[in-house]
Amino acid sequence: MGEHCSDYINNLNDYLDGEISPELCREIEEHIGHCNNCRIMVDSLKQTVSLCREGKEESLPKVLEDKLNNLLREKWNKKFHK
Amino acid sequence: MDERQLVAKAQSGDFDAFLLLVNDHKGKVYNLALKMTGSVQDAEDIVQDTLVKAIDKIDQFRGESAFGTWLFSIALNQTRALMATNKMTDLLPVEEYLLSVDTQNHSKESFRLFDWKDPHKLLEQNELRATIDEAIETLPLKYKEAFILRYYEELSIKEVADLLGESVASAKSRVLRARLALRDHLSKVLEGHYGRTL
Repeated sequence: MGEHCSDYINNLNDYLDGEISPELCREIEEHIGHCNNCRIMVDSLKQTVSLCREGKEESLPKVLEDKLNNLLREKWNKKFHK
Repeated sequence: MDERQLVAKAQSGDFDAFLLLVNDHKGKVYNLALKMTGSVQDAEDIVQDTLVKAIDKIDQFRGESAFGTWLFSIALNQTRALMATNKMTDLLPVEEYLLSVDTQNHSKESFRLFDWKDPHKLLEQNELRATIDEAIETLPLKYKEAFILRYYEELSIKEVADLLGESVASAKSRVLRARLALRDHLSKVLEGHYGRTL
């Protein structure tokens, strides 16, 4: 890996997800330590995922649950009890 | 009763066993479809079609993946069919997310990336949520599905690759490009908002 920021970008996800060799991790952290833009890039990429995950899980609408149970039972009976 | 036993019972015609299997996963399929399509109606259709397909194909399930992963693969196919027109668009190459704003080594240039610090101080929660939903909505399908499976469904990169029928390297590239594109979208909105509040 060279000195240029663009050399690091392909490894950023692995770095952020903790799936990178300790050696490469140290190299990236050393670079981030003296490159403000890469620090901002890493920080904002981290926040991108955490912000996306902030939204709550939606529950299956009750109306759909009821409709599904009836529909699935009907399909099941057609398949197994012809 | 474990998953394998439930599958065996379902495959021999036990509807209650099938219901137990899908009950653990239908909420996740709904959320996957909702994130993919951005539409409650489409998400409901996808859940329904996925579970009906699962009944049709239950005999073909061989347990090579977890039952939930198998349901996801059916749901993704349903989603792709629904969103067929979205397939042709593409994102910038990875390097462009740096090069579009800078030359090779941006640390030595005068350009400075916008520092988000705390986005919650720039946008209200509901505005932030809407901006994220909009950013995800604009992702081309193949990047959107990779990102959602990796970070919402929290699958490993190998599981994402297997579900998408891609190599691990290709899945990694899709996830990274999606993440960079989302960051880019959010950054523009946050910077614009910061500018207005000065």
